[in-house]
Order: sequence, then structure tokens, then C-alpha cells
Amino acid sequence: MVRAASALLLVLLLAGWEVYCRMAGVSALVVPLPSAVLRTLWDGLAGGYLLPHLWVTTAEMAMGLAAGCTVGFLAGVLLAEVPMLRRLFYPYILASQVVPKLALGPLFIVWFGFGMTSTVVITALICFFPLLENTMTGLQQVDPNKRELFRMLRATRLQTLLRLKIPSGLPVILAGLRVAVVLALVGAVVGEFIGGRQGLGASIIAAQGMMDSTMMFALFIVITLLGMIVYQAAAGFERWLLRRPWKG
Amino acid sequence: MSFVSIEQAGYGVPSGGTILDRIDWTIGEGEFHALVGRSGCGKTTLLKLVAGLLAPSTGTVRIQGQPVRGPGAQVGFVFQAPTLLEWRTVLDNLLLPVSLERRPRPADRRKAEELLDLVGLTGLEERYPSQLSGGQQSRVALARALVTEPPLLLLDEPFAALDAITREELQNDLLKLCARHRTTVLFVTHDIAEAVYLADRVAVMEGGRLRHALPVPLARPRGRDVRYSPRFNALCLELRHAMDGSKSDVALERAS
Ligand SMILES: Nc1ncnc2c1ncn2[C@@H]1O[C@H](COP(=O)(O)OP(=O)(O)OP(=O)(O)O)[C@@H](O)[C@H]1O
Ligand SMILES: [Mg+2]
Repeated sequence: MVRAASALLLVLLLAGWEVYCRMAGVSALVVPLPSAVLRTLWDGLAGGYLLPHLWVTTAEMAMGLAAGCTVGFLAGVLLAEVPMLRRLFYPYILASQVVPKLALGPLFIVWFGFGMTSTVVITALICFFPLLENTMTGLQQVDPNKRELFRMLRATRLQTLLRLKIPSGLPVILAGLRVAVVLALVGAVVGEFIGGRQGLGASIIAAQGMMDSTMMFALFIVITLLGMIVYQAAAGFERWLLRRPWKG
Repeated sequence: MSFVSIEQAGYGVPSGGTILDRIDWTIGEGEFHALVGRSGCGKTTLLKLVAGLLAPSTGTVRIQGQPVRGPGAQVGFVFQAPTLLEWRTVLDNLLLPVSLERRPRPADRRKAEELLDLVGLTGLEERYPSQLSGGQQSRVALARALVTEPPLLLLDEPFAALDAITREELQNDLLKLCARHRTTVLFVTHDIAEAVYLADRVAVMEGGRLRHALPVPLARPRGRDVRYSPRFNALCLELRHAMDGSKSDVALERAS
């Protein structure tokens, strides 16, 4: 019922927009007609223009996400397990939170050149932090009673990590993953703004160069849909992992 | 020879001062001792000293003559809270002490299922802890401590969350198992009748010190009728007086 109302609201909004633009004769350069945007979107998908770009952005996102999350998780485990390293690095981790990572984009272009590599590196860097933070927090939040139980059972450090700390910190770690997935899309698109030759972000810049607002809106829709799909996938993965009996 | 001997053991924290003050106590092999006292008097702390989870700041704790340096394989501990792993099934939780040592064998599984039957949880092995009641969770925790058949068992109010009837059943099962394996037991409880029913000897703790020791000369095996006998009630009353700190004549005796 509510879902239907939400959908209806969208339709009404689009209809209002369409009617207003036609009546007032707003220039397509400023605000394009929804119908024109949808047609461009359809042509782009069916005609195959958008698909390579979609593929490049998805690939950059996936690679950046995988690299950033893996390194972030491992670094989080290391810092959670070794208090000395944690004390050593913590001020820098705090400081790095406020550094706008995207601002490093131009530097990465100097280092890695235009194209996929620098975008993947930016994406990985952005995904690194939520995983690092949440892994550290999750592993340190273990119930003291359970730690004591493992101590009583003379579990080794590795056993305590694998069979107590990681499983009990898993909800927090996976929440970090969900944040990282959203940031990965931002990273990939903005990375392409700065240094991409291909991809949805690069296409937005190209469309801007041609003053093609209709195309920019169509790309915007594609990016939104992509974000929704990967977010749902991450949330589904999370639910699946947390419902499963944890073997280890 | 005494199995556990606590010699002048004290425990203090930098902030809170003294929690345990020069405790002396011995438990002979195969004996069942109970430790009673008001909330916050230091019972859990003493149990953890014996377990090797805490190191005494003064004195020593010996198990079979050896000073305790840390948690040992011969000690089973039932914590005050059930402390189960929520992401593991009941069976996996039961087998945790085994699976941290080696891969569980079919014999271990059978053993675990027997224990589940014993604590009245037959057929619940594939459940998760969140699908159990509080009392069922404490029964899993009890069974987990028994699965390795440790010669020394330390229990911290294991039956506090149970109804009276289940509690009596489990008390009997515990006595039976401990008699069968000649397990040495130190059992912490708030419940006077429970202490008298289970123990050969009851220690009364107050403000971090052992104030009284009460031998319980009731014949074993103890059945349900014992609970309603005049001797039993007289012992409960005596223990109650000791806990109230009234100057009864039960002086602190050294355990033999
Ligand atoms: N880490 C700690 N730091 C300071 N004080 C502590 C600490 N742990 C316990 N205490 C104090 O030591 C005293 C004894 O605690 P303990 O847990 O042994 O009590 P208990 O007899 O088991 O009580 P209960 O019957 O409520 O479980 C309490 O007064 C408690 O406040
Ligand atoms: Mg306690």
C-alpha cells in the first residue's frame, strides 16, 4: 500500500515536471524533459553506448572495493591485536579521517596516470577506512565473559581471534562493508571525473562538454540504479552471513 | 592429600582496595564444598583465583600441590552468566572445550548428547542459544564444563536461573556425576538449602574473609527425603545464623 503510494508519488512528480517544462518552455539545456531523459537512457542501453561505461565503472568499483576492504580488514585485525601498533598509528588514523581522500585524486593521476588504475586506487583508499575502523571496533568489543571463557579453555591467540573475536565482531565489520560499498561508487565516479577516460563518471564529464543535460540525467539514473543494486547485494550478503551457522 | 589448598590468599585492586583478605581453605580430593555469602563479598573473585583466571596479590593457591599459574586443563569452570557463543549451535557450544584441543570425534559427540539428555535438553542440539530459555542456557553451560570430565569443578551459582524442580533434578545429577568421577567441587551459591544439600562442607564468606566453616554430616547418597528431615533443617538454620554474623559457636575450623 505504502509502496504503491511511493511509486505513485514518483509518477506524479515526473508528470508534473514534464507538464511544467512543456508549458513554461524551459530550455532542455537547463532542465531536460523526463520523457527525453528516459528515451536517451533507453537508446543508450539498447544501442550499447552506455554498456561499456557501465562495465568499466562496475569493474573499478569491484576492484577498489575488494582491495580496500581486504587491506582495511587485515590492518584492522593487526591494529586490534597489537596494542603497540594501535597506539603508534591511532593519531594518524584519526587525522586521516578528516583528510578528504578524493582531494588526493590529482596526485594519483600524477603517480598512476589517467585511466582505471588511479580510479581503482582512489576507490580502494576510500573503502579502506570504514573497514579498518569497524574491524578494530568489532574485534575489541568482545564480551569480557567470553574472553574469560576462552582463557579458561586455554585457547591460543589465533583460536581466540578466529573463533571468538571475528565471529562476534562480524555484525560491526559487515556494517563497515555496507558503508564501504556506497563510498566505493562515489569513489569510482568521482575518480573518473578527475582522471577517467571511460566509465559513467567520465561520460558525465563528456556530456557536460557537449552541454548534453539530457545525457547527464540519464547517466545519473544509471549510477543511482547501480548504487541501489550493490547496496542491496551487500545487505543481502550481510543477512546471509549472519544467519548462517558459523563454522570455524 | 588435599586437592586444592588456598594459603593466605588475598586479592586487591589498585582502585578498590582489598577484595579478598588472607583466605585459608583446603578441599580434599573428591570432596564437595560450597561457598556462600552475600552479593559482592568476593565469592566469584575467590573462584577465579582457584581457576587461575586471576593471580592472588598475596599468598598462593595450590592444586595437587602445584602453585596455580594460570588456567589449567584439570579445571572446569561454570561462569555466573551462561556465556554461550550465539553463532554456534548448542552441540557446538557443548563441544567447544574439545574442539579447541582437537577435532571432535564421534565419541565426543555421543558424550555431548548424553550430557544433553542428562541436563534435560534432549533434541535441542541444533538450536542456537538465542532460541533457548535462560534456564536452558545455564544447563548448556553446565554440560559444557562437564564434557571434558575435569577432576576439579568450579561452579559460580550455576542454578540461579532455574525453577525449584529443575534445580533439584540438576543438583541430583551433579552429585551423581561428581560421585562417579570422584570430582572435587567448589560450588558458589546464595541458596542456603542448596549449599547444605550438596556440600560436605560449607564456607561462609563475608566482606572478603572466610568467617565460618560448617561441616555437613549428612549421609550420601542424599535423596529427596533428606530435604525435609529435621537434621537438614537444623543445619540450614545453623548456616543461616552463621551468615547473619550472629556470634554462634561455629568457629572457622581448618578443613581436614
Ligand atoms: N575489577 C574490579 N575492580 C574493582 N572492584 C571489583 C572488581 N571486580 C570485583 N570488584 C568488587 O569486588 C567485590 C567482590 O566481587 P565478586 O564478584 O567476587 O562478588 P560475589 O561475591 O561473586 O558477588 P555476587 O554474589 O553478586 O556474584 C565486589 O564488591 C565488587 O564490587
Ligand atoms: Mg559472583
